[in-house]
Amino acid sequence: MPSKAKIMVVEDNIDESKLIKMALEPEGYEVVTAMNGKEAKEKMDSEKPNFIVLDVMMPEMDGFHFCSWVRSQPEYQKIPVVLLTGVAEHIYDTKYPLKGVMEADADEYLEKPVKPEVLLKTISKLIKK
Amino acid sequence: MSTSVKKNCWQQLQCNHGPKSENPCPAVVDETSNGVNGGKNAGRICWSIPNTPCFDEIMGRFDEKREICFACDFFQLVKREEGEDFHLFKLAQGVKGSHKLHDTISQMEHLFSIHERLHSHFDLNTTIREITTAARRITGAQRSIVFLLKGDPPRLYGEFRLRGKVHRVSIGVDNNSAVGYAAANNEVVNLRDLSGEFMSVNQPVFNRSFDKQINCETHSFLAVPVQSSGEMVIGVITAANAKKGYFTADDEWFMRTYATEVALAVEKQKFLHQSFSALRLASIGETVAGLAHCIKNIAHALRGSSYIIKRAIEANNVRDIRAAWEILDRHIESLASLSLDVLTYDPAAHKGEKGTSLNDLVSHVVHLFQEEARARAISLSMELGDKVDPCSFNARNIYRCLVNLITNAFDACPLSEGLVAVSTKRTGARELMIRVSDNGRGMSDKGKAELFELFKTTKTGIGTGLGLPTVADIVKEHNGRIEIDSKLGEGTSFRIYFQEL
Repeated sequence: MPSKAKIMVVEDNIDESKLIKMALEPEGYEVVTAMNGKEAKEKMDSEKPNFIVLDVMMPEMDGFHFCSWVRSQPEYQKIPVVLLTGVAEHIYDTKYPLKGVMEADADEYLEKPVKPEVLLKTISKLIKK
Repeated sequence: MSTSVKKNCWQQLQCNHGPKSENPCPAVVDETSNGVNGGKNAGRICWSIPNTPCFDEIMGRFDEKREICFACDFFQLVKREEGEDFHLFKLAQGVKGSHKLHDTISQMEHLFSIHERLHSHFDLNTTIREITTAARRITGAQRSIVFLLKGDPPRLYGEFRLRGKVHRVSIGVDNNSAVGYAAANNEVVNLRDLSGEFMSVNQPVFNRSFDKQINCETHSFLAVPVQSSGEMVIGVITAANAKKGYFTADDEWFMRTYATEVALAVEKQKFLHQSFSALRLASIGETVAGLAHCIKNIAHALRGSSYIIKRAIEANNVRDIRAAWEILDRHIESLASLSLDVLTYDPAAHKGEKGTSLNDLVSHVVHLFQEEARARAISLSMELGDKVDPCSFNARNIYRCLVNLITNAFDACPLSEGLVAVSTKRTGARELMIRVSDNGRGMSDKGKAELFELFKTTKTGIGTGLGLPTVADIVKEHNGRIEIDSKLGEGTSFRIYFQEL
């Protein structure tokens, strides 16, 4: 793995996206952002990221669907994915049953509010693998 | 017609099982049927008696032998002789009016329909009105009132309609009136002739003050206690007759049945009240869960920006400090406005309060749901009608309706590209409308029909099945109505119309 990994941050909240970017760049990562799963999907070919930080609840295409798509693509399926979410349990019951989390097959699953230190540690651990 | 010319079955059919035989027929000895169709014991209603040894064969029950009975010459003879007064069953014995076969059957059907309708109502007054109407019809009474025990010390409260006006009556639980007596002693009171001819010394006093109030003279009166499942008296159902005649044992039987229905309705009402408070708790739970989600998102941003600021200070990076500080500020602001929202729109804080601006209420609720809409990738839009305000409505109730409808719309929405639109409109001088529509899964006609059924839910795990019945109840309270347009796979639109207070 090259030292300067390219991380794609898929997050619809601009503030959060900006904060993650500000936390990652000083660590030497290159960061590209996308507002939702659909935009991320379109950017995959041109950007070719080697890591994905993914929010779950987004318009157009949500995190679970995007993650499943990534896993179904031969050229992308080995890219590590970290899912971030602040979803309350009651929403899981209806629209995102736990099954959705399992099927999405992310490498890590972090619940908001995520400590930036934890996110950084998770990323470096997964990149070293 | 004297009874001497009316023949009993054993006389007409020259039966070997008559009164003088060693082994008399069950119809011969059934004293409870004495007098029906003018016969001795069940002599002229033998078809209703099981196991009669007719035609040298032991017959079964009525439903087993009726074909033979209907073809029997004796049955036809009795039917001809009695004409309009013919009784097919002893159940109908003595019940006033003409009781032909179809009357009896229609009455039984009516009893069942009352019982069934009880399951579809949750408004106690409507149910009681239906029961008293049915009781009047079946006993031939002019008035029927249900009194329920309330207060401390308990008194009996009842209401009735007279020429379109509702009158309320309250009676003490004591021996000073027939109604009070029935409740105090848990006894059926059947006053057969109040004109005095056959007044018994021991019978409870009939209080005439009520008669004066409605300008009528009661001739006969029936009061049956209403008992809860624990056999406690919770009220009294009465029937009063101004015409000659009296209430028979069969009338008493019917009234006892109605008393049971009243008791069921009261208990159901109690149960619903408990369920509604459970629902309120559940909706608070949902709000809290929604809030937790909002707060988590804010905390996430606060944590992120404080990390950036800390690190940027160490690195002396003013640009990052500024950027993160801005984000921090914005989220502190949203935290503050979030707590304001919750304080302003706690439904409990609005108990019974009259609202004057429907558009304000709707925009507050929509605002409150905006964050969850974002999290669930739903676009929540709002269109406020002009001329809606000022108006007058029960703020707490309409708030509950709206929260219910929006929650349902959210839950129906597809995984992505969900659309929920809320709008208000004035539809009459005193009438307002709120519409909540979604582009969700929609409903079949069957689904629509079951919509307002209690405890029916399609939301496994989170639905109580009380949401829409609550909405229906509230709308009814506002003399309103609900209209639904729904197409399977295309979405649903709920319109609630209600009258201003």
